Amino acid sequence: MAGFFGGSAVKRAWRGLRSWIPFFAAIPFLYLVEATLASQPSLEYAFQNINHIGIAIILAVSLNLVNGLTGQFSIGHAGFMAVGGYVSAVMLMRGPAQDPYRLFFVLSILAGAGAAAVAGWIVGKPSLRLRGDYLAIVTLGFGEIIRVIIENTPFFGGAIGLSPIPHRADFTWIWATAVATILIAKRLRDSSHGRAFLSVREDEVAAEAMGIDTTAYKVRAFVISAFFAGVAGALSGAFEGNLAPQSFTFVRSFEIVAMVVLGGMGSITGATIAASVLTILPEYLRALANLRMVIYSVALVVLMLVRPRGLLGTTELWDFVRRRRPRAKGKREATEALIDVRRASIRFGGLTAVSDFSLEVRPRELVALIGPNGAGKTTVFNLLTGVYPPSDGTIVIMGRDTRGLQPHAIAHLGVARTFQNIRLFRELSAFDNVRIACHHLTRESMGAAVRHGELSVVEERWIAERSEELLEIMGLSHRLEELAKNLPYGEQRRLEIARALATGPQVLLLDEPAAGTNTREKGELMQLIRSIRDRFGVAIVLIEHDMRLVMGVSERILVLDHGVTIAQGLPREIQSNPKVIEAYLGEKYAKEHFGSGAAS
Amino acid sequence: MTELLQHLVNGVSLGAIYALIALGYTMVYGVLKLINFAHGDVFMLGAMVGWYASARWTNEARDPSIAGALAVTLLAMVVCGTVGFVIERAAYRPLRGSPRINSLITAIGVSFFLEYGGQYLFGPNPRAFGVLPHRANFIGGGISVGYVDLVTIGTSIVLMALLQRIVFHTRMGTAMRAVSWNPSVAALMGVNIDLVISFTFVLGSSLAAVAGILYASKYPSVHPLMGLMPGLKAFVAAVLGGIGNVPGAMLGGLLLGLAEQLVSGYTSSSWRDAVAFSILILILLVKPSGLLGRTDAEKV
Repeated sequence: MAGFFGGSAVKRAWRGLRSWIPFFAAIPFLYLVEATLASQPSLEYAFQNINHIGIAIILAVSLNLVNGLTGQFSIGHAGFMAVGGYVSAVMLMRGPAQDPYRLFFVLSILAGAGAAAVAGWIVGKPSLRLRGDYLAIVTLGFGEIIRVIIENTPFFGGAIGLSPIPHRADFTWIWATAVATILIAKRLRDSSHGRAFLSVREDEVAAEAMGIDTTAYKVRAFVISAFFAGVAGALSGAFEGNLAPQSFTFVRSFEIVAMVVLGGMGSITGATIAASVLTILPEYLRALANLRMVIYSVALVVLMLVRPRGLLGTTELWDFVRRRRPRAKGKREATEALIDVRRASIRFGGLTAVSDFSLEVRPRELVALIGPNGAGKTTVFNLLTGVYPPSDGTIVIMGRDTRGLQPHAIAHLGVARTFQNIRLFRELSAFDNVRIACHHLTRESMGAAVRHGELSVVEERWIAERSEELLEIMGLSHRLEELAKNLPYGEQRRLEIARALATGPQVLLLDEPAAGTNTREKGELMQLIRSIRDRFGVAIVLIEHDMRLVMGVSERILVLDHGVTIAQGLPREIQSNPKVIEAYLGEKYAKEHFGSGAAS
Repeated sequence: MTELLQHLVNGVSLGAIYALIALGYTMVYGVLKLINFAHGDVFMLGAMVGWYASARWTNEARDPSIAGALAVTLLAMVVCGTVGFVIERAAYRPLRGSPRINSLITAIGVSFFLEYGGQYLFGPNPRAFGVLPHRANFIGGGISVGYVDLVTIGTSIVLMALLQRIVFHTRMGTAMRAVSWNPSVAALMGVNIDLVISFTFVLGSSLAAVAGILYASKYPSVHPLMGLMPGLKAFVAAVLGGIGNVPGAMLGGLLLGLAEQLVSGYTSSSWRDAVAFSILILILLVKPSGLLGRTDAEKV
């Protein structure tokens, strides 16, 4: 291939390198600063603080990945920092006395970070099933256990700690690592994976329905975050020259959490700024002697009260500078699709919510599921999408038995849904909501996203174009950058449909799309549902209370009452079915108006 | 055998203190869904008030009287109750309804404030503590039971019985339980949520004050960071029993105290922190709602 030696290989390499320009540009600059300024005795104290800031930035930016982006609640970061620090320090203290290019130092950092990542995996794998406060306590507990283990291990210096560790980390090393950490975090955030992280934070159920393996993403975020905490620990040890377990208590973890929250949840630049401020603040208050930590704590509370969303909220500094969206092309061919439910039942305790439910959905079919409130309609959707496993019966989707499949796996099979009580990723833009749903259609690896590889660039463009197109079809082009929570109700419902379509489904499940809309909008919705079917070739299953919409749009209707299918057939047949009338209007009404139970 | 009995007695006494602190955590969590990290420091404050009061009121050389001890304890309860009330009013109430991580950070900030404020006023070094009258240990069958342990167990039983009465047999208790189930519905039913939450803080904080004095008498010293570990442990106890659940906090406290005492008695005391957290992690992974907690499923 000519391209092998020719333009494209160079171009590819250049693209890979170009994305690292900030990093390579930073190194000579850092080195120059170090060579000219750091050696001056008058600046020694200042540089010590600056280096502490660099380490704090690595910690805050990495924790931000878990607490900010993914919305999990970890307060054991200091534990992973300790793992990285100790592993690296033990290596350095036993390693060669001279380390000319500091290759051994790099090796020790990687070993420490790797150990921290493994620890992160061990901690994260079981505990990330928990949510919110519980996860917080477990991570706190693990962090403390790590510290106690170190304290009781003579190999790690016990309670006294390790000293002297060779001074291998200096200003250039610390800050180059900090810059690299920020870059990697930014790359991840801007990629399809970053949006997957965000979707977990915003709404786990909806994320699963869009085909995102939420558990896997939580664990990934946790492991990556632990890795960088380990890097920070290794740098800290090699900078200070000693390590003591007392510096890795949960108080340290709290400080890092405070940086993330103060910076603004999920904002990388915010975490960076907050890390700097919170590291330097106590130093500036040193003049006040004993009062300084009192003031620090008051400042923390006041900042939280005044700016509850943090300094930057969810935005980034670079958002103010430029806003460029990637673009591209492509579309997937739909294959033949089928849902086949046979005698499915589900019981919650003693209550049978749905019993003996059977449904077959053929390609391009429009089926409606109706019934009074509490009939079990949404439960049927939850069964179909794997939110609940059926107690009895089988559900086959695209020829595959869905027993044991997680919701995201079922989404991958080609079933997408909307929610009765809208479940958008509220704090994300309409554009991002749709882009997240494209996630499972992409192949880009996390590493590629960080390197800005060819595939990731092409895929980003393709995702962008597909998302823009879907938003246009739903009449939401003008709302691209608007946060989902700010859209009017009707547009939120349409955005949910766009998001569901973005997963590339073959069956679309709409849960009360007309709820809360007026007569004119209902008319438009009817048109929209038909045009979605024609345009995307999907089958649609519709839950709806509005009879005009149901009768107007569906080809087949199933009626549920108390979990039992009481009728099914063409709209015409359903309208005059006495059982249906009884279910909706009561036995008395049915008898008075249609005779005793038997009417045409 | 006698050694085991000895550890059991010590464990129950320690567990009773954990339980008293855990009650404050669990009640606040019940009504606010907030981990009040400053609670451990309110506990410290209780001990500190006790130290100041006893230094002023009682003569060092003379044996403190029971009446004096009661007065000191009451004062500590009033002070801590007030502080608890103020903390909720000033730091937590403005953040009600914002993401829980924010409230948590604020709680941590308040906790730091109390610790560092304590260091500023009190100095960082531990000081000897003697509020309770000195009595000889009760020795029988090879077991020695400290006077302090007896007072601790007795006081805890009385206070817990009282609390049980308040939570389950008074109007305010009913309101507290209503708020913990669903604050907005409770408000619609005419419950004054602000009042209930304030009351919960006052109640929990005054219990912590008593626990602080008992703890400081057991390990006779006071220092500004003494609330850190017991506070955390008590929180573990609350989770162990099922957070938000009053009897659960008592059970959790007792179990944790026993487990800790047994582990540090039979192995090394330096492992006891790790063991407490290991138990916690185990229970959270096996039964996240705690021993007596209720499970909530998310509705889709």
